[in-house]
Amino acid sequence: MNRIKLFLAGEGGQGIQTIAKVLVDAAELQGYQVTYIPAFGVEQRGTPSTAYIIIDNKPILYPRFESADIAVILQERALSLVKKHVTPKSKVIFDSSTVPAKLIEHANKLGIPATQIAATQFIAKSFNILIIGKLSQLLNLDENLVWDSITKVLGKKFKDEKVKKLNLDTFKFGRSAIFEVDHFSKPVFMPMKEKIVRKGFGKHALILPERCKGCHICIAKCPVAALSKGDNLGVFATAVPEIDLEKCIACGNCFRFCPDAAIKVEKDKSAKE
Amino acid sequence: MDKIMPKCWKAESKPDFFCPGCGHGIVLKQLGYLVDEMGIDRNITFGIDIGCSLLAWNFFDFDTVQTHHGRTTSVMVGYKMAKPSRVAIAYMGDGGGYAIGLQALIHAAYRNDPVTVILVNNENYAMTGGQTSPTTEVGVVTSTAPAGKLAKFGPGFRGPELLRQVASKDAYIARGTVSNPIQFKVMLKKAIDNQVKNNAFSFVEILSICPTNWKTNARDSFARLSEMEKFFPIGEIAAEKEVK
Amino acid sequence: MKNEILISGNEAAVLGTIDAGAKIMFGYPITPATEILEGFIKKTEVEPDLKLKYLQTEDEIAAGFGVLGSVLGGVISFTASAGPGHVLLQDPISMAENLRLPFVGIMMQRGGPSTGTVNYSQQEVNLAAFGGNGDGHRIVYSASTVLEMYQLTVKSFESAWKYRFPTIMLGDGYLGKMKAVVKLDREKSKVLAKPILEEKAISTNLRNCYSSEESFAEVLNTQYVEWDKFKPEIVESESYKTDGAKTLIIAHGLVASAAKEAIDTISKGSKKIGLFRPITLNPFDGEKLKKVAAKAQKILIIESSLNQLSRIVKYELAGMKLKFIEVSRPAQGFTSLEIINEIRRHNG
Repeated sequence: MNRIKLFLAGEGGQGIQTIAKVLVDAAELQGYQVTYIPAFGVEQRGTPSTAYIIIDNKPILYPRFESADIAVILQERALSLVKKHVTPKSKVIFDSSTVPAKLIEHANKLGIPATQIAATQFIAKSFNILIIGKLSQLLNLDENLVWDSITKVLGKKFKDEKVKKLNLDTFKFGRSAIFEVDHFSKPVFMPMKEKIVRKGFGKHALILPERCKGCHICIAKCPVAALSKGDNLGVFATAVPEIDLEKCIACGNCFRFCPDAAIKVEKDKSAKE
Repeated sequence: MDKIMPKCWKAESKPDFFCPGCGHGIVLKQLGYLVDEMGIDRNITFGIDIGCSLLAWNFFDFDTVQTHHGRTTSVMVGYKMAKPSRVAIAYMGDGGGYAIGLQALIHAAYRNDPVTVILVNNENYAMTGGQTSPTTEVGVVTSTAPAGKLAKFGPGFRGPELLRQVASKDAYIARGTVSNPIQFKVMLKKAIDNQVKNNAFSFVEILSICPTNWKTNARDSFARLSEMEKFFPIGEIAAEKEVK
Repeated sequence: MKNEILISGNEAAVLGTIDAGAKIMFGYPITPATEILEGFIKKTEVEPDLKLKYLQTEDEIAAGFGVLGSVLGGVISFTASAGPGHVLLQDPISMAENLRLPFVGIMMQRGGPSTGTVNYSQQEVNLAAFGGNGDGHRIVYSASTVLEMYQLTVKSFESAWKYRFPTIMLGDGYLGKMKAVVKLDREKSKVLAKPILEEKAISTNLRNCYSSEESFAEVLNTQYVEWDKFKPEIVESESYKTDGAKTLIIAHGLVASAAKEAIDTISKGSKKIGLFRPITLNPFDGEKLKKVAAKAQKILIIESSLNQLSRIVKYELAGMKLKFIEVSRPAQGFTSLEIINEIRRHNG
């Protein structure tokens, strides 16, 4: 095998480093020389999380590189970082359900709607397992060794057999997934850009996905369970709340507790006043 | 109703980089509305420590300065000496305040330096990944206390109570919680008034939540906060009556 | 492969401390050194037979003085820090310089000054080598690979206790975080530790404060004589493909590893390029450097700082008629391709 340089880019919270840890663990078990180095800032969420991986038969001296043989982009905001590491010879793999294909100007782009598949067929959180599946197949890493590495790295999170089986299915799906080479999926799993306005029952509500991080404190603090997880995604691609104005009593809790000023409900001004 | 955030919040810096569900946002929102109501946005200087609090550096549309870990109190003390007419606030976490910065806090209280310290307590060194801090409670497991914080260390460090021992009777010292934003906003107002009207020291600790390092969802975060409130009494810590 | 493991630089350093015989770690959370504290603490749990102890102190100054207390009692101990923490540690390190105490600190360089970045730099060379007040001496090693994060950590303890100068093992944020497959031959500790406050019938009285310049000068001069005497034993460097090299790169730490990769790639052609890599930054292997530099036509000093290494090199080579090209990238790394481009740029 010639040296393979793999650059992963996503966002904090997506499990990018888990993908990297599993791949290098499996590669080492298979007898390869590997280096891996993560790169991220101080913030836990909202900023890029990237990893440089080098797999070779010969010893590797320096873990970072200019141009990647394979660049993987899993979040639109990390696109500019990936561009620095891509040459015409690189393969560019992207999550077509979260990254618009038209933003990637490259002849050799390969799409996989991983977030969409995980959210609709398995569990949303396991989308990185799907990516591990596909990448490990691309790198010719042995399927069993990779699954062993997954259980080693994530073992504690597989609380019961059902969860473990679900992740195994996700992994296997990834292994056999076929890349989209021209007709790419639509990026449906993207943060909503518009404001959400709801009116009725003498109240009006404003919810701002552009600021909502999906922390769900508002849902926890609502005394009448008028808030629940909605289908729209907020800025960190997590579920924005939806409101039932009939149940709502406009107590002001959601507004008071929201750390990001992303929600407020007010009573309509009385027509008589 | 588009204006659902404080006027003195800097819109361009939102969404900010605090973790989803972080208590800092709840604290800074009440502080923001308070600054709007008091009309002091052009007269306030906000010093920020190193830790998660550093993420507030561009949060507000008023002057802020990131200092060094545990040194924010000292910087704001010096600043206030240079500019006594400004409102000086020092903002920090439990690590920066009660570990490396404790000496500075004690001496600011002791000297009755007219600064307002706001300390957000989420019981860990959050930015570096959740290590044990002075306020971490007995039995809590972290990467620097794998068997749980030892009982010999005592309950979580009670900072406001300690500072009251050395502070002037004119100092305003209180502890609030993000589970009661209305209450801690009142405390913050009293604290700033104490600086402006009485030229005295003020200190408000606010118990907070850290879903990322506690690995809790919203509901469980507030449940843990309720438990914290049993150990860290909420309310003002009044000066003792003078001994005649 | 036997003995080959996938391990990070910080993990390798932890193994180094244990194999050197360290029994206590004092530390404070600071990126990118926190993992060393967490890793050592994990060892206290999973290997109880080693009887390890640790203390997370209230700040780095307390951590450093805790190390001094421990070594006074004859127990091998250390701390690990970075950036602003490294600055604070100069206080206890200077006491160690004055009293010749075997302080060991693993410093993982990050961008500075001030809080800077948490990621990487080579900007703590001045601090590590010359950061105290006065003319004290401390030994400084610079690790260039994950394996050296282990080996040089072990060596740091050995040198500190043998020669009684505080010793700093310099890594950086990339080296700490990166994982590599390493053939790790575990070593057995050669450190002989005994109490410095000797608990004998005749008491030991140690002071670091002197009333007169003259009495202090006597103490200092003894130290300088010892430093000069031990220097030839302590200095270490590597000369990589320097035979017949017309272009000489001088670099340390991880940058030197990138330079080796660059040299291996380019020297498939006819150009002869070599690398001089100081392994000890203090004392510096000036003797070796003079020999290697004398034959070079071009000298490129490459570092992730603004001339901190270069200043030392120029001092060591003062008097020789040499031209230096300083390639500085403060707080940013070099890939081997970037080094190749620099070599080509300066070779015309």
